[in-house]
Amino acid sequence: MKYVTTIDDQSYQIEIITEDEITADGKRHTVDFQSVIGPLVVSLILDSQSYEAYVNPTEAGLEVLLRGQRYLVNVEDERKRLLRDVSGTKAIRRDEIQLKAPMPGLIVAVPVEEGQLVDKGDNLVVLESMKMQNEIKAPREGKVTGVRVNPGDNVDQNQVLVVIN
Amino acid sequence: MFKKVLIANRGEIAVRIIRACHELGLETVAVYSEADRAALHVRYADQAYLLGPAPARESYLRGDIIIDLAKRSGAGAIHPGYGFLAEREDFARAVQDAGLVFIGPKPSAIAAMGDKAIARATVTAAGIPIVPGTEGEGDLTDDELISIAPKIGFPLLIKATAGGGGKGMREVRGLEEMPGLIQAARREAEAAFGDGNVYLEKLLLNARHIEFQILADDHGNLIHLGERECSLQRRHQKLLEESPSPLLDEKLRQQMGQVACAAARSVDYLNAGTIEFLVDKEHNFYFLEMNTRLQVEHPVTELVTGVDIVKEQIPIAQGQKLRYTQDDIQLNGWAIECRINAEDPFNNFLPSTGFIDQITQPTGPGVRVDSGVYPGLEISPYYDSLISKLICWGETRHDAILRMRRALEEYRILGVRTNIPFHQKIMDSRHFITGQFDTRFVEERFSMDEAEDGVESLPHIAAILATLVVHHQTQQATKIVRQDDRQKRGWKWAGRMERLGE
Repeated sequence: MKYVTTIDDQSYQIEIITEDEITADGKRHTVDFQSVIGPLVVSLILDSQSYEAYVNPTEAGLEVLLRGQRYLVNVEDERKRLLRDVSGTKAIRRDEIQLKAPMPGLIVAVPVEEGQLVDKGDNLVVLESMKMQNEIKAPREGKVTGVRVNPGDNVDQNQVLVVIN
Repeated sequence: MFKKVLIANRGEIAVRIIRACHELGLETVAVYSEADRAALHVRYADQAYLLGPAPARESYLRGDIIIDLAKRSGAGAIHPGYGFLAEREDFARAVQDAGLVFIGPKPSAIAAMGDKAIARATVTAAGIPIVPGTEGEGDLTDDELISIAPKIGFPLLIKATAGGGGKGMREVRGLEEMPGLIQAARREAEAAFGDGNVYLEKLLLNARHIEFQILADDHGNLIHLGERECSLQRRHQKLLEESPSPLLDEKLRQQMGQVACAAARSVDYLNAGTIEFLVDKEHNFYFLEMNTRLQVEHPVTELVTGVDIVKEQIPIAQGQKLRYTQDDIQLNGWAIECRINAEDPFNNFLPSTGFIDQITQPTGPGVRVDSGVYPGLEISPYYDSLISKLICWGETRHDAILRMRRALEEYRILGVRTNIPFHQKIMDSRHFITGQFDTRFVEERFSMDEAEDGVESLPHIAAILATLVVHHQTQQATKIVRQDDRQKRGWKWAGRMERLGE
C-alpha cells in the first residue's frame, strides 16, 4: 500500500511492501514495528536502528513524540489523496471559534461580553483549576458572539465557554 | 519519644515521609480523601484513615479531624509535608496543644516568616538585605498600595503576604495596571490562603533564584546544607532545580550561607527550612522569603550532601542533637531535579487532567524518582499537577545533564500529557548547558518550537512511524471484522487505533 505522508511542507512517499519491508522516497528499508506500551507507544527497528515514540491522535493530525521532539504528521493513502485531488475539496475554513474549557474547573471571571471586539491574546475567561488561575485567551481577533458561562460556574472539560466570530 | 507518625499530606511527599519513617523503625499513619483511596501513601502506611471528600478544604485542610485521628491512632507526631497545613501557625499550635509533636518549626517561627511583610521587617532588623518594596507589617489598602508603587518603581510585583508557590502574585508594568491586578492578586490569595492581603516588591530583572537549605536543632545548633539553583520557573512556579548553583563560587556560597543562617536564627528556627534569595547580575543578593517547611526540591540537596533531610527531621523533632556540624557538610558532585507535571508544554502549559494509564519509570545508576502516582490514578483538578520528581546525580554538572537526558527519554507516562518534552528541550538548550539563565528565561527566551543547534531532527523517522501506525490500524480493523466474539480483547485496541486515524 502506498502513502503520502506530510510533515510541515515536506512530503514523503512511503510504500508498505510486506510486514517487514518498506520503501521511503524510493529507498528500501527493513522494518520491525510493534506497540510496546498500550497502543500509543510504538517501537520501530528500521535497518537495525531502534526508535521508540509516542503517537497521539490530535485534531491537527498524528502527533509523534520522538526523542524529545514533536512532529505533526498527516498520513494519506494514495487512493484517498487521488480522490481528494479530483474532487478539489479543501478544508472548509470555519469562521466561528468555540473556546472550550481545557480542563474541569471553576469560572472565576469573564472579562468580555457579547458583541465585544477582541484582539488575539485578549483574556476571555479566568478558569481556576489545580489551584491555579488560568487565563483562556483569544486565539485570534474577532467579535464575541456568545458568552456561555458566568463567574462561579463549575465547568467540565471541553465545555464551550465563549464563541468568537 | 514518639514511635508513630501521622503524615498530613498526599502524593509523592507523603510517600517520601513514610519511607523515611519506616527506615527509622517508626510506624506510620496515612490520611486520605475519597479521591485517594488507592493512592500509594495509603497503601504504604501501616494505618490509614479517611478524611473526607476530594476537595482539600474538606479533607487535607481539615486540621481538626487530622489531630483527632492522630490521637485516636496513637500517633505521637504529625509531619505536614509541604503545602496544605505545612505553614499554618494555628495548625502547628493546635498540634502542640493536643500534646503531639509537630515535625517542623515552632509556631512562632511559622508566624514570623509566614506573613511575608512581617518576615521582611524581622530580617531587616537582623541586618539582612531585602528586595526593595513596601515596609512595615500593617495591611495596606488598594489606595495606599497605588500611592506607594511609583516610589518603588516599575516593573514591580504584587505578592500575597500569606503567599507561597506563586499564588496571589501579579507582575505590574505600569501604574494604570495596578487597580485591576491588585484585585486579581487579592482574589487568588483569598482563594488559596483565605487571606487577601498583599504587599509590593520591586521586580529584579535578570535575577537568579537561589535558596539555602537550613537544618536546626533545639540545642542551638543551626547549619546550612548549601544552595539550590531554582531560577528555571514559569509563572513563579519552579520547574527544575539543581545543586550546587552554576553561579556561585565558594566565597559567595559561604557569604550567602552565613546570611541564610542569620536569617533563620532571627526567628529562632527549628528543624528543616529554606531561605530564598534573589541574586542580581552584580552578584548582590537579597532575602526573598523563608519557607518554614520541607521543600519539593529537597532531594537535590540530599544527593550532593549525602544527608537524608527527612530522616534528620525526625530525631530533631524528638529533641535530639543535630548529627552534623557545618564543617561536615561537603558538596559532592551535581544533582538536578525535573518536576514532572501533568501539563502540556505544546499548549501553553495548560494542566492536563485524566487517568494515568501506564507508567514506565527510568532507573539505573544515579537516577531517583520520587513519585506518588500509579496506573489508574486520576489526575484531578482538586490537587496540584505534580506527578513526580525525577532527580539525577552526576560527578559534574555535565554528567548530571547527560544522565537526566537519558532518564527523561526512558520515562513513559500514558493517559495525561506531561512536561517531559519541555525538560528534554531544556537539557538540549545551550543557555541551560552553559548556565546562562535567570528567572525570566523560560517565559521570555525559550520556545518549544525553536530548534536548538546540534540537536538531531528525525522527521523522516516520524513520517515512517506515523505511516506504519495508520497502516497497522487499517490492517487490524480488517482482521478484527473477521474475528469472532470470543476474541473481544482486540476491540479496545481497534477502537483506539481507529481514533488515531481521524
